[in-house]
Amino acid sequence: MAANLTHHHTRGCRTTFRQERIERRNFTHSPCSRLCYGHFQLVAASFLTTFFWLGSGSEQTRGVRSVRGDMNIFWISVGSGIAVAAILALSAVAFTLEYAVSRVVNLAHGEILTIGAYAAYVGENNFHQNLYVCAVIATVFGALGAMALNFSLIERFRNQKPLSTLIATLGASLILQNVVLIGFGGASVSYSFAQGSILHVGPFLWTVLTIKVMVSAVVVAVLIYLLLQKTRLGKALRAISQNRELAQVSGIPARLVVMQTWAVAGAISGFAGFLYGETIGTITPTVGNGFLLLSITAAVGGGLGRPYPTLGGAVVLGLVMSIASTYTSSAYQLVIAFGFLVVMLLVKPNGLFVRGRISTVRA
Amino acid sequence: MVQYWTAILTEAAIFGVLALGIDMIWGWAGDFDLSAYAYFALGVYVTMILTIGKPSPPVEYILGWHLPYLLAVLISVVVVVAFASLIGAVALRALREVYFSITTLGAVWAIYYLVENFTPLFNGYNGLSGLVDPMGGGLSYNAYHYLFFGFCLLVLLLAYLVVMRLSRSPFGRMVRAVRDDELAAAVYGRNVFWTKYRTYLTGAALAGLSGSLFAAYIGAFNPLDWRPTEIFVLYAAILVGGRGNPRGVVLGSFIVYVGFVELTRYIPSPSARPELGPALRQILIGLLIILMLKFRPGGLIPERLGTDDSRRRWSTGWLHPRPRASVKIPEASTPLSVESSDS
Repeated sequence: MAANLTHHHTRGCRTTFRQERIERRNFTHSPCSRLCYGHFQLVAASFLTTFFWLGSGSEQTRGVRSVRGDMNIFWISVGSGIAVAAILALSAVAFTLEYAVSRVVNLAHGEILTIGAYAAYVGENNFHQNLYVCAVIATVFGALGAMALNFSLIERFRNQKPLSTLIATLGASLILQNVVLIGFGGASVSYSFAQGSILHVGPFLWTVLTIKVMVSAVVVAVLIYLLLQKTRLGKALRAISQNRELAQVSGIPARLVVMQTWAVAGAISGFAGFLYGETIGTITPTVGNGFLLLSITAAVGGGLGRPYPTLGGAVVLGLVMSIASTYTSSAYQLVIAFGFLVVMLLVKPNGLFVRGRISTVRA
Repeated sequence: MVQYWTAILTEAAIFGVLALGIDMIWGWAGDFDLSAYAYFALGVYVTMILTIGKPSPPVEYILGWHLPYLLAVLISVVVVVAFASLIGAVALRALREVYFSITTLGAVWAIYYLVENFTPLFNGYNGLSGLVDPMGGGLSYNAYHYLFFGFCLLVLLLAYLVVMRLSRSPFGRMVRAVRDDELAAAVYGRNVFWTKYRTYLTGAALAGLSGSLFAAYIGAFNPLDWRPTEIFVLYAAILVGGRGNPRGVVLGSFIVYVGFVELTRYIPSPSARPELGPALRQILIGLLIILMLKFRPGGLIPERLGTDDSRRRWSTGWLHPRPRASVKIPEASTPLSVESSDS
């Protein structure tokens, strides 16, 4: 909440009681602690440098290093970064919508992606490998999963602290992940959609499937925009994300709108899970969980609870990750993502695309 | 049968020490730390590389010394605390609650993938193997295990006494005060960051210590043994026993470890579906966490605040001799003047 409060702090207005409270909340930033702050940034920087130094020394990277000067490699990595960013953007927007209406960091978000991916896998086996039918199935099951999660867990924990809800979603993540594990086994299963031929588009190198993925991601992003800005649901959603109680006394059926938002978010994440599985080819019960951290990083990097900054954060993270891992090793993608997250939280805790000052951040 | 129970109880005792450490970070200071399992793993790794000797060619890891066990424990605790001081400095500086958890979640996965993929450090995916022998050899199999069980219990007891003492000390109360209201604690002159940071490092030290014990309990350790999701078992244990109450935490870790091992022993795990048993166990842990949070967030023995002077029977005050009655505390001879000097 403090992040929101500080955001409303405008320069030049008279010092009100509330503003005094805001000032006092930032008590950690006395001149002394400002000095210390630089020190901690230094610590973080050296920590990250160590990571990258370790990363650059490994066996696999030496071959790549010799072509560091090659511009082609750079543009190809940008291209793959855009492809990753497209899927990441959908997943992160769903995550951020969940946060916006329920104020919950949903650590079971990755499992909704897994549900979508596995639903599409089942659909693929039963519906003659039709790409579009599979996409619809993934979307529907993602929405159902998210609605069930909201109904059975999130709403029940609504009056508790955000941290309690977070721990509860961790438990839900554990349950869902292992239900999938029991249902489909621990071995990876693979889609059999054709990747299509490789195309040179400008300086980029994409497959036909990657292009389909990116186009559909853009379409979904436009749909999200239309939903948020042009429909009654979008308006209600934005109202609730600012103040649920106030929206409720203004006659908005909050419980219903929250449920609908979760359905939308679940549909988006189910679809994103399908796209992700389609891109990497094979899926395991932990496929979504690995993607969770990236979604969180994109959402926090852009601005948690704000859909459009989150989209921007996802694009930046996708590019940073892809380019950086081209020059070190793809095994270190998550290490790089964590580095990005820490730098974001230290420098711009309210998000990359949100105006605001550094302050103590709490949910 | 006796050997079986010894093994289970040894494991419970080791994880009891870890749970005490995590409870300091979460229960006392209110920081839901997801990276504590990495400190435990680091404790195991460092203890192993300090005691099992040089690697033979396909295997590679750093150091590879032959130090005595107790010295290795000391060094690994120091290493773990040094490492935690970096992550703590980043995560505790300005981030709280959910943001803190996200950062530590990121940290633990980053460390996990780094250790798994960067083989020169701890042999990557294949992990380390080798016997860490605290007793210096020369014991029969059974005698060794009974002795080691006793050793673990002793360490758990010592850790419990120290933590209990800390919990009731002014420091323990200060940590709780900072958890409950940072602003108020800061107004009363407490340094919020420093308080949380010290608690974090103490918790990490206990995690490292339990890692060192675990290194002697097992013969091999690889990344599959410390998937970051394993920490949920410990949070389940803390929730069951009583968050913030060392007595409850020890009870909870024994209940969850002994109870879960016993329960999952009777779940059929057919050879065609080897993942069924562990998966059901994880589901039960998830359910346990959610149900405890919803219906009994305080746990079996809830946290009780205060100095506990009324309950002398259970307190560990005897560790600190009180000033005897015969010692006279001198009265303040000159009452403090209210008037300030500048008037």
